[in-house]
Formats: sequence, structure tokens, C-alpha cells
Amino acid sequence: MYALQYIAAALYLAAGVGAVLGLSLPAPKVLRGARWGLALGAGAQFFAFATLHRNQPAPSLTDLGYAIAVMAWLAVLVTLFLLTRIRLPGFVPPVAFVGFLATFAATLGRPEAAATGDVGTTIPHAHVLLASAGLAALGIAGLAGFFFLWEHRALKRRRSVARNVPMPSLEALDRVNRVTLAVGFPLLSLGVLTGALWLDAQMGSYFGGSLHETWMVIAWTIYLGLVALRFVGRQGARQAAASAVAGFAFLIFAVLGARVVS
Amino acid sequence: MTKIVLLGMNHRTAPVDVRERFAVDATGSVLRKLVDRPEIAEATLISTCNRVEVVVTTENADAAQHVLYDFFARDLGEGEGPSPGALSEMTYLREGRQAVEHVFRVASAIDSMVVGEPQILGQVKDAYREASDAGVCGAVLSRLFQRAFATAKRVKNETGIAQRPVSVARVAVDLAKQIFEGLEDKSALLIGAGEMIEAALVALHDHGLGERRVVNRTQANAQALADRFGGSAHALDELDRLLPDSDVVLTCVGGDDPILTRERVERSLAGRRGRPLFLIDIGVPRNVDPGVHQLESAYLYDLDDLQEVAAANEEERRRESERAERIVYEEREQFEGWMVALQAVPTIRDLRDRAEGIRQSEIDRFAGRLGLDGSQVDTLEQLTRSIVNKLMHSPISRLRDETDREAGLVRLEEARTLFGLDRDDDAREDAPEDAPDDPPDDDPDEESRA
Repeated sequence: MYALQYIAAALYLAAGVGAVLGLSLPAPKVLRGARWGLALGAGAQFFAFATLHRNQPAPSLTDLGYAIAVMAWLAVLVTLFLLTRIRLPGFVPPVAFVGFLATFAATLGRPEAAATGDVGTTIPHAHVLLASAGLAALGIAGLAGFFFLWEHRALKRRRSVARNVPMPSLEALDRVNRVTLAVGFPLLSLGVLTGALWLDAQMGSYFGGSLHETWMVIAWTIYLGLVALRFVGRQGARQAAASAVAGFAFLIFAVLGARVVS
Repeated sequence: MTKIVLLGMNHRTAPVDVRERFAVDATGSVLRKLVDRPEIAEATLISTCNRVEVVVTTENADAAQHVLYDFFARDLGEGEGPSPGALSEMTYLREGRQAVEHVFRVASAIDSMVVGEPQILGQVKDAYREASDAGVCGAVLSRLFQRAFATAKRVKNETGIAQRPVSVARVAVDLAKQIFEGLEDKSALLIGAGEMIEAALVALHDHGLGERRVVNRTQANAQALADRFGGSAHALDELDRLLPDSDVVLTCVGGDDPILTRERVERSLAGRRGRPLFLIDIGVPRNVDPGVHQLESAYLYDLDDLQEVAAANEEERRRESERAERIVYEEREQFEGWMVALQAVPTIRDLRDRAEGIRQSEIDRFAGRLGLDGSQVDTLEQLTRSIVNKLMHSPISRLRDETDREAGLVRLEEARTLFGLDRDDDAREDAPEDAPDDPPDDDPDEESRA
């Protein structure tokens, strides 16, 4: 019953390859096709999630592989939304490849049984969805930050950035960074909060002291600082871009790296 | 056989003072005059500041060449142009596939002074429209120009030939677009009111620049420029007040010391909350301290920087033009296929007519002699028509197939010679007298009777 996941993964892969070709040839039609591939992949993944319960055994959304797949799917949706507003063709390849890897990885291995404690499935699922949405938005902020730094560097070196395919302007990238940070941080905060509630239901404590929890709290605190700097302080666009890249790298370590280390 | 011939002069072959003597504004009347000549079937005239080219179709290419030189000297140059010898040195003549390729290259801006410039396609379209309106553009030239427009579209879409700007003003606009999402809500501060500032302002204005404020030592000049572009004029001592609200700063004023020091710009950036500031310094000596570029949100480009980017872009366009040449080659091949197919139509028609003529004359001769009644004549008609169709099927199919290939024209020539189609009239007249009363030894009927 993994057919839909495989279809979604294949569509993401095709979209990623198409976007790379579209940007490098350059071929705007191929790039447009890649966007459609991304959208179709997101559609296939939606139906994959909707029919998840039919799988034998049915995996839980709290399964790490599926949680990452949800995060990638939300990142694809955010990207598709942004593409309708701003010229962001450079976003398609990384998002598509992340989508492919996350969707494909979710189909590997036997899913673990859901550990829900006595809170049913509502809080664990809310935790996964909110944290994934926050990660997806902050991932897009990191990507915008990366592109901002790339273009800023080219402009400072007075080298013409490849303009065969319209690239986003610094101003647009900064706007994406600001919006996704403004949306992503509250979602991440709610994800952390529901995680604490889940932990409390399971262990009778809001904080278990595991490596993942510790790093997540540190990551959340760092993001709190970044948000304060961005919206209350007078952080420049370049520092905001660098912060978004560094912040997301730290967050990914907190979610995945800490598990690997432990 | 219809051939395309082109005679022209451009920026590479003739100086501007010669080109302007041959330039024509209204091409319709001169083209009608040209087409009145029996050697010319169709004609189009492309006349721009960089080229004057006449494209014609003809059945006699040698005669058309003379007509075109004469047309250039008398009708375009009005007898005041260079001598015939000098004229032939300043012009180029293209025939057949070379002419087709040239038209495609011109429309695609590969042959332009600035490779990839967008104006030429519009000028070629205008030239074609004027020729069509004058009724001197027939099926072949119409097809040629339609394919030229399609080629130009492919070149534009499939290569980066027109992507990178090559003029200083356009480079500045392109850089502004790299920094800002749109220029509509941006405010420009122009320091100076000279020609260079005006040229850059025109380019920014064309791309929808929002507010424009002009600062100049002589306020009357600032006011004049501001009035032309719908902006406001200010005195030089207002600079510090205007700078923090400006997104694009254009400077070109005289003076040895920079008018915008690093400290001055740094102060203005403090009030911008990290919003980027794009400074274009086209003054010589420079008006902006080069240290400004080190400030985080400030992007400073002077004239040398802009020219360097423009030169790099031009080089990139040249590289892209190699890809464009491949597209031109493909399109030319397709057009030639169409031309050959067009030439094949009269040959196939002549071949059928000739076979039918022979069949009909033989029926008439034998039906009377054998005393056949109506139904027998009908049967004979069916029989002979069937034989002729079967005999003709293979060579006609082969001719049709070959038109797609390079050897198509050669095959057509061979067919005309082999079947004596160019002596068709003589053959028809001779056929009844020369034909033997009895079927010849190699008559295909012999075989069927046996």
C-alpha cells in the first residue's frame, strides 16, 4: 500500500531533476513543468496520508519517518504558495529533492507502534503536525537566507548573477525570510508545547531530559532570540539571512542529529 | 525554379553616412517599382539605421542580381550613392540557402551590432507588413518571414541571447531588479542633471521607477529634468534629508571630492532599518566614496563596474549566439524542405499531365482504328488509366519523399530531364506523328499480353 508514497516520491524526484535542467539549460517551460511536478507530488502525498490507515500495519504520524514526510509535504505546500506570489524558481530543486528523500525514506523499514500514553492520538498528532509545520516554514526561511547570502555575495563582488531564469531579488528573499519566520516560530512553539504535554501524559513530567528535548529547548530559545532581533531589534537583512540558515541547521540537528548522536 | 536573392549593406560593410543615403522610410512605393521588373516576383525591403537589405524571389537569379544592384544605385541611392564598384564592395549578395539563413539571423538579432538586441525583430516585422500591404510579398517571402519570426522566437526562448543587458543604463536597471522586487514603490535620488543621468533615468523610468527627486548645484537644471520625468527638484544642501528615504541613488556631478562619503551614507543607512540602498555612480571622477560598498546594505556600482558587467554580458551573449546558430540551421533546413516541396508541385503536375496526354492520344488513335464501341472504349479507358497510375505511382511517391531531403532539388531536375518535362510542349506536338502505328518493342503491354 505504499504505491501513493512511491508515486509522490517519483514526482518530487522528476520535479527536482526538471527544475535543475530548467535552471541550467535554461528552459523556462521545463521549469514550469517542474512546478507542476511538485504540485502533483504534493497531491499524491496528500492522498498517501489520507489512506495511511489502510496500510498493514498502519504507521502512525508520530513515526519519525512519517513526521519528516509531513514536514517535507508542508514545506512543498509553503513553497507552492510562495511561488504564486514571488519569483522563486531556485527554491524548486532543493524543496523537490528534500520532498523526494523524505517521502521515499518514510516507506523504508517497518513503522514503529505509536506511543501515545493515555492521551489518545490527538496530542501526539498535534505535536507532529505543528512541529512539522514550524520546521517546514523555518526550513523555507533558511533556504531564502541561503539564496540571499548567495546573491548578496555576488552583488558585493560585482559579479553578475546568472539571470537566464529570473532569480528572486534580495528584497523578495528578505520578505520570504520575514514571513516564514513570523509564521514558523509560533508553530514551532506550539509544537514544543504539545510535545511537553505529550511527555507529561506519558511520564508525568513536562521535561524528560533526553538529548532531543534538551536540544529542542535550546533551539527554541535560539529562535526566540532571532525573532526578537528580527522584529524588535534592528537586525539587517544579511544578518537575518545568516541567522535563518544557522538557526535551521541547529534545528535540524536538534530534531534529527541529537537522535543520531544518542 | 524560384530562388531567393538578397542584396544588402549593414554596419559591417558600409559606414553610417553611406547607409543613411540608402535608408528608406516608406518602402511600399519603391518595392512596387522593383516588382514591376519582369525578373522579380516578390520583394521585401528591410531598412533600419544599421542595415538596408532587399530580399526578392526570382526565376532567374543572375538577372535578378543586376536588377538589385541597379535598384540600390538608382532607386535607393537616387543616383547619389557610391560608384557601382564601391557599391559592390559595400554590399553583400546572398542567394538560396545563404539568403534564407541571413534573413533568419537578422530577425533573431544574431547579425545585429549588439547581439540579441530586441528592436530588430520589430523592424523586420514592419518591413514584412509594409511589403504585404504593398502587395509585393507572395507565398515564398511570406513563408520565409513567418519562419524568420518563428526562428527569432525560438532563439529568444531557447537561448540566453537576449537575457543579459549590454548597455550601461540597462545593466543598472538589471542590478536594481536584482536588489528590489519592483521599482514601482521605490524612490530615486538623482544627483546631477546631465545627459548621463538622463539616460539612466530614462531606463529606470521605462521600468516603472516610482518617485524621482533631482538634486543639482544649478537648481534650474534640476527643475527642468524633474519636470520632464514628473519628479521634484531640490537644492544640494537637502541631500542629507533626502538620502535616508531613497532606495536608488544616481550620481553624476563634477568635482574632485566625493559628494557622498562613507560617513554620510552610513548615517543615512541607520534610518533605513536594513533596507538596501543601490548607488550608481557614473561621475568621473567618482562622486561616491568606494568605501560605501563595504557598508552592509549598500551596493555601489561605478561606471567601470557597470561597463565590466556589460562587457561580461556581451561575451555571454556571444556564447549564446552559437546555440542560436544551431536553431537557425535547423529552421533553414526545414524551410528548404518546404521550398523543394513547393518546386515539386509543378514537376509532379507536369508528369501526370504528360502521362495522361500520352494515354489519351493513344486511346483516341487506337479506339477509332479498332472500331470499338462505347463500353469497350470505357474498358480500355479504365485499363490504360490503371496502368498509367501504377506506373506513375512509384516515381511520384519518390519525388514527394525526396523533397524532405537535401537531394530533393537534384531529384526534381533528374525527373524533368528523364521524362522530358522541360520539352513538354514539343513532345505533345510530336507524339502523334512520331508514334509508331504498332506498339514499340519495349511496350509494357507486350509483357502483359505474353
